[in-house]
Parts: sequence; C-alpha cells; structure tokens
Amino acid sequence: MRFVNDLNLKKQAEELGVEIWQTPSFLVLMLGTIIVFVMTATYYISRVYDNPELVIVSESVVVVVFLIIGNSIIRFINQVIRLNKMKSDFVSVASHQLRTPLSAIKWETELLLSKFKRGLNKKQLKNIENIDQLSVRMIRLVNDLLDVARIDQKRLVLRKESVDLCKIIEETISEMAPIAKSRNIEITSSWSKNNPKIIGDTIRLKMVVENLLSNAIKYTTNRGKIDIKVVKKDNSLILSIKDNGVGIPEEQQDRVFDKFFRSDNVVKYQTEGTGLGLYISKSIIEQLGGKIWFQSVENLGSIFSFSLPTNKPGDTKS
Amino acid sequence: MNKKRILIIEDEATLQRALSEFLTSEGFEVLSAMDGEEGLNMAKEKIPDLVLLDIILPKKDGYEVLAEIKKDEKTTKIPVVLLTNLEAAEDVQRAFDSGATTYLVKSNYKLEDIVKKIKEILKM
Repeated sequence: MRFVNDLNLKKQAEELGVEIWQTPSFLVLMLGTIIVFVMTATYYISRVYDNPELVIVSESVVVVVFLIIGNSIIRFINQVIRLNKMKSDFVSVASHQLRTPLSAIKWETELLLSKFKRGLNKKQLKNIENIDQLSVRMIRLVNDLLDVARIDQKRLVLRKESVDLCKIIEETISEMAPIAKSRNIEITSSWSKNNPKIIGDTIRLKMVVENLLSNAIKYTTNRGKIDIKVVKKDNSLILSIKDNGVGIPEEQQDRVFDKFFRSDNVVKYQTEGTGLGLYISKSIIEQLGGKIWFQSVENLGSIFSFSLPTNKPGDTKS
Repeated sequence: MNKKRILIIEDEATLQRALSEFLTSEGFEVLSAMDGEEGLNMAKEKIPDLVLLDIILPKKDGYEVLAEIKKDEKTTKIPVVLLTNLEAAEDVQRAFDSGATTYLVKSNYKLEDIVKKIKEILKM
C-alpha cells in the first residue's frame, strides 16, 4: 500500500510543492530506468564492437548521469530537512513572540476592567470587554495553531501521569456552567464515585474535555440538554457527552476529525471556530493510547466519546 | 499583618508593569527585576516571600536563576513560580525537576488567577 502510495507522483508533487519531475520517487525511478537501459546498451555495444574504449566511454557516461541525478536527489532531501528545521524554529519563535504581546493585551485589559475601572462609562467598558474577549480568542487560536504544528511534526510531548478524569469533568462543567445557562442548556452528569484513575496528561485531557463540552454547548440551540457519562469497561474508562443539538450531516461525518473541518449546517449560524479542536483532541487521545469516536444524526444531536486506559493497580505514581 | 513581598523577574516592561500594578493593588509589596542577574541578587538581598520568574531572560535565564536560588541556603525555601510563555512538556518537566513550586503559562492565566495561585502557595 505504502509502495503504491509512494508511486503516486502527482500527489507527491502536490504535497511537496514541486514539479512531478522533481519528486524523489520520480528521480529514483528515472535512475533505475537509466541503469537498465544503459546496461542493456553497453551489453549490445560490447557485442557488436569489440572495442574496450567504447565500453569505458559508455560506462563513464552512466557514472556522470548517476552523479547528476543522485546529486539532485540529495539536494532535494537537504532542502526538505532545512525547511522542516525552519518550520520547527518558527513554531518556537511564534509561540514566544506572539504570546508575549497577546498576554500583555490580556493583562492590560484585565487591569482596566478590574483595578482601574473607575471613571469609565458603560460604552467604554463594553469596548474594553470586547478587546478582552478578542484577545482571549486570539490566544486560543495561536495555541491551537501551535499545537497543530507540533502534532504535524510529531513533536507534541504529553506527560504520562495518573489523572482523575471525573475531577477534570467536574471542573470543566463548573467553568462552562455560565455559558450553558446563558443559552438555556441543562447539563447533567453521572459516574461512579470509585472510578479508577487513567494515565494521561492532565492539562491536555482538560483541553479535550473542554473542547467536546464547548462543542456540545456551541452547537446546541436553546433549551438543549447535555448529558455526560463516565463508565468503566474492561481496562479503560469511557467518557461520553451527548447533546440534542444540530448534529452532523451524514455525508460529512467521515471528515469530522480532519484539520480545519467545519460542517455545513454549523457554519451557517456559528461563524466562530477554526475546525482545529477535534483534530487536536483526536491526536491527544490517540497519543495517550485511547480512542475517540462519535455518533450523530442531523437535527437530533451527537454523542462524542473517548476511551482511555486505566492505571494499572499498584502504579499510582503521579 | 505584614505585607507579603513578591519579587517579579520579567524583562518585558509591559508585563512587568501590569503584574506589579495588579499585585500592589492586591496588597503585596512588589520588587521588580528586569534580568536574571538583577533578580538573583535581589532575591538574595531582600529575601522575598515568593518569586515570579520568567524563563527567557537577559544575562541569566530562568533555569539558572532557579537553580541558584535553590542552591543558596538563605533562599532555598522561597517558593518560585515560573511564569512564562514556553509550554513544551520538556520545559515544564525541567522546571519541576529544578525545584519550581508551580509553572504557569502567561497567556493562559488572568492576573486574578495568578494572584489566586500566589495566595494558595503562601497560604493566605
């Protein structure tokens, strides 16, 4: 399969952003063809003309052709490595350089809204609140893009500690309760008190839970209901978040976890959202050895679930 | 009750100012240092109750400052909170290994939450 894929030159050229004749696979194929052709030619030449000089000349030509093609393959690979390095440098520079001014904006607006509020009129306060919310949104976007870059480079490092999943869910529910209430959505939850701990990265798992719950809230219209359940099954815990929201159209369901995917019925009335959340969540869950999936019917709602392996008994180190 | 003394080691002037204004108005005594060396000297001289420490700093980086604070008997007990925009797991791990009390990513925390953490650590 992989071999066939490697032979798909057009796709490879598109992915690498070069012409077809510049792709490594094409050059290697060329190299092979030339070897076969030249060896055959040399054989016939040496048979027809009994002349060692001619053989030497034709072999020299072969060597030169090898050197030229080989060199261009090496040059290409070097370029790819260099670009990759630049990309990871960019990620770390962007992470620090973009976040510093963004944190400054966020803190300054917070100061205005808390300590130095006196003397501001309602209109001004509203303006500053908007700036505040936008800066938070921008930080989230930067964070998401950086995470995607790390995932794509397989550089997302996750801690493996013992995690109380239910505690994370509790925290997330209480943080999101105000938004849910403002949209008239009722959140219920149930789980057994003595669920075992799971192995994972607390901060990242919180991100996943936040993402799933905020999607459920965002894509559920007024008077919605969201039900969160955690059950233990064999050696894993399964979390599922069920909503009676807009659901996902059947024909788009296979693209839900794709990068930048947003379903058509959602884009119509919810413009905010990057389509990165589920892609990141899936990568995190899978990297932690779990699975993530969903069931959905358009206009009826969705259930998003993930499962993660539980801590082995005795291995309670955090 | 005596005012708790917080040392902020942060080279970005706007962040430094926002932090110190907020902390001052929350009733803390604030000391400011703009680079690692200055910060370390201040920590040794003034013995603050807690240090807020950036990682990328001129002269001495945050890890060096942290290591030296933890090495010196006079300052080893001072809780050090790393406050940075680096968030790679390697950085977090390195910080905890070097004895940081906690690790906060600036862009993910409101000033109010930072104060909450500080009060938690100082048991206020």
